[in-house]
Amino acid sequence: MSIKRTVLGLAVAGGFALPAAAQPIPVGHLMDNSGATSDVGVPYGQGVADALAWVNATRNGVNGRRLNVLGFDYGYQAPRAVAQYQAWVNRERVVAIQGWGTADTEALVRFVTRDRIPYISASYSAALTDAAGRSGRQGVEAAPFNFFYGPSYSDALRGMLQWAKQDWERRGQQGRPRYVHMGANHPYPNSPKEAGETLARELGFEVLPAIQFALTPGDYTAQCLTLRNQGAHYAYLGNTAGSNISVLRACQTAGVQVQFLGNVWGMDENAMKAAGTAANGVVFPVRTAVVWGQDAPGMQTVRQISRQSDQAGTAYRPVHYLAGVCSAMLMVEAMETAAQNGGEVSGPRIRDGFYARQNWVPRGLEGVCVPVTYTADDHRGTMRVALYRAVVTGDTAQGSVADLMRAGTMRIEPVATIELERRRDWLGW
Amino acid sequence: MAVMTPAGDYRTTYREDMTIFPTLGSRVALWAGIALLCLAPLVLDRYLLHLLINIGFLGIAALGLNILVGFTGQISIGHAAFFGFGAFASAWLHDVLHVPVALAIPLAGLMTAMVGLVFGAPAARLKGLYLAIATLAAQFILEDFFARAQWFTGGVAGRVTEPFGLFGIAFDRDETYFYVVLAFVVVMFLGAANLMRTRDGRALVAVRDHYLSAEMMGINLAYYRTLSFGIASFYAGIGGALYAHYLLFVSVEAFNILFSIQFLGMVIIGGLGSVMGSLMGAAFMVLLPEVVQGLANLLAGSPIDRALRLGASISYLREMVIGAAIILFLMFEPDGLAHRWRLIKAYWKLYPYSH
Repeated sequence: MSIKRTVLGLAVAGGFALPAAAQPIPVGHLMDNSGATSDVGVPYGQGVADALAWVNATRNGVNGRRLNVLGFDYGYQAPRAVAQYQAWVNRERVVAIQGWGTADTEALVRFVTRDRIPYISASYSAALTDAAGRSGRQGVEAAPFNFFYGPSYSDALRGMLQWAKQDWERRGQQGRPRYVHMGANHPYPNSPKEAGETLARELGFEVLPAIQFALTPGDYTAQCLTLRNQGAHYAYLGNTAGSNISVLRACQTAGVQVQFLGNVWGMDENAMKAAGTAANGVVFPVRTAVVWGQDAPGMQTVRQISRQSDQAGTAYRPVHYLAGVCSAMLMVEAMETAAQNGGEVSGPRIRDGFYARQNWVPRGLEGVCVPVTYTADDHRGTMRVALYRAVVTGDTAQGSVADLMRAGTMRIEPVATIELERRRDWLGW
Repeated sequence: MAVMTPAGDYRTTYREDMTIFPTLGSRVALWAGIALLCLAPLVLDRYLLHLLINIGFLGIAALGLNILVGFTGQISIGHAAFFGFGAFASAWLHDVLHVPVALAIPLAGLMTAMVGLVFGAPAARLKGLYLAIATLAAQFILEDFFARAQWFTGGVAGRVTEPFGLFGIAFDRDETYFYVVLAFVVVMFLGAANLMRTRDGRALVAVRDHYLSAEMMGINLAYYRTLSFGIASFYAGIGGALYAHYLLFVSVEAFNILFSIQFLGMVIIGGLGSVMGSLMGAAFMVLLPEVVQGLANLLAGSPIDRALRLGASISYLREMVIGAAIILFLMFEPDGLAHRWRLIKAYWKLYPYSH
């Protein structure tokens, strides 16, 4: 092990000593490690960072050129992200960016399109999928350089609503189910609001007025009482885990019986531990085919990647970490495609690299990342929504997340997989 | 004009007493300074230009607050909201009404001044803490307005805007936009320095020094207090508009109360009641995080970092240092950087007979 590390160290030193041999490829990595969404931003950002570090360490970067990953914690402040973007483009000349939130990603659409820089966001806002700008929806611009890994927020919510409809019928309930959208007044929770409410009406739900709660943890008892007074049956939690926990706990205390539907960022293992039995029963989409602790051919690679920041190999990695790995590796493979046949690793060529494959799973991550397909006018990578349920059976205060998952006190159980139709009229919203 | 100031006061006219640049040297220094700054884009890299541009538009806004706090003795903890209003107004004027950016910036300043007059109206009746709370309300009312007025601000999603352009030339890069900001800084600072020489300017200072005496001398307190808010907002609006067309994206998130406090920090650190101090304070506020960031980068991974297990929290050092700087300035340098600068100048001028 120590010899290996020495060799690695020498290799790294050698890499620095011979800069002229292969110029590193500058890549931006925008993280939220301190802002309103840092609860899920930290594991996701770690996944991206580890994957890119692993590519440098084991594959010597892309086509012999190391990745120079420029990390920046922007604290979920869109203006800071825009300022950093301009610094990256003007000074560092990045060729691609791993991004984060909806507000900043949507604000940057025009910029990345102008500068032709592929932007792989952790925002799955449907407005980013209309690559050719053909949807004709008001306020949606062409986003030919925006990509993300997973179903869009709107599609994930559509999947959950279809499941909710089946669930309602399966339980033999009478009357119309009532649906309510919950979240902050912020571009991220607002993103799937219209799509969800429209489909809910189509499916025969009664749509209640939306309930607001901030992106930060707080006392949301009032919201829970509104939920109960309105008699909601299905409630969508549009925020990230931290504030959702507050709602779940407040609603448990208030004795509100509602089936919560979580956003993809709305629930994870850390949130289950924090919320305890209040999180029991929340249905949410998971973007990878497995979660930590399960096995798949690609998990071998993921465990190696995880060791980049956890040499002991004992850390438990939540679902967002795996998603971060997948989205980083998609970018890496698109870069490799761009570099093929002596090609230049430039923005437009990386974008074309995203179109090179169908049902695309990054090499080495088989069985972990779900297959995605991007086309020049449709950046909805996948229409499959895999729904899982958070199951918490006991006290989660004691023990680590890894222990609780191993003991079965906390489980993430598959509920259903909804295959949505790739409807043209759903593109871009 | 004298090359040097004589020892002792030989000024016999008000005109001599009110001059901004008492010696030929100070005037030459000013022109040389501006000329040097004009050369900056040719020699400095983009990063330093970026910092200078930030200092420029924040300095203009800070000057506005200084006119209000330092010269008139009022208080405002909603300055960032006016800064934001200027930014949104300019973006709105340009994107919706298609006003050219070069015209939208001053117009945004005027619009912000109008809003400032409205929110400054309580100053006619309130003083001290009560006024502070009233301006705090302005901060929250405007912030909420930004988040909801879809037609004006683009709502919570914000508004993307266009770069500054004049005669078909786009000033869309640090190298070119620097000149735009520099021009505004020169005009606005000269404007403020001259304002303080006028009857209105002296009235503002009189209101600060003793409102009762001022009133007895025939100064309309309500008028000048409200006017001060209008002027402060005008400066904030211009600063905000310059910010909008530099970043090209305006979002409600930027203009929170913390930013308002930072403006107060700038004028306190720079020096209350000093025109140049506002620019110094802005420079201090812009450069301090960069210096701390540099130190944090040095610390990261070092034995100190490992021993204290700072890790991710190292980035919070920045926020803490800013707080500490304000406390230390209030304790040891209450007159701000401008006062320290005067002392340094005096030391050199009078050496070795400084007593």
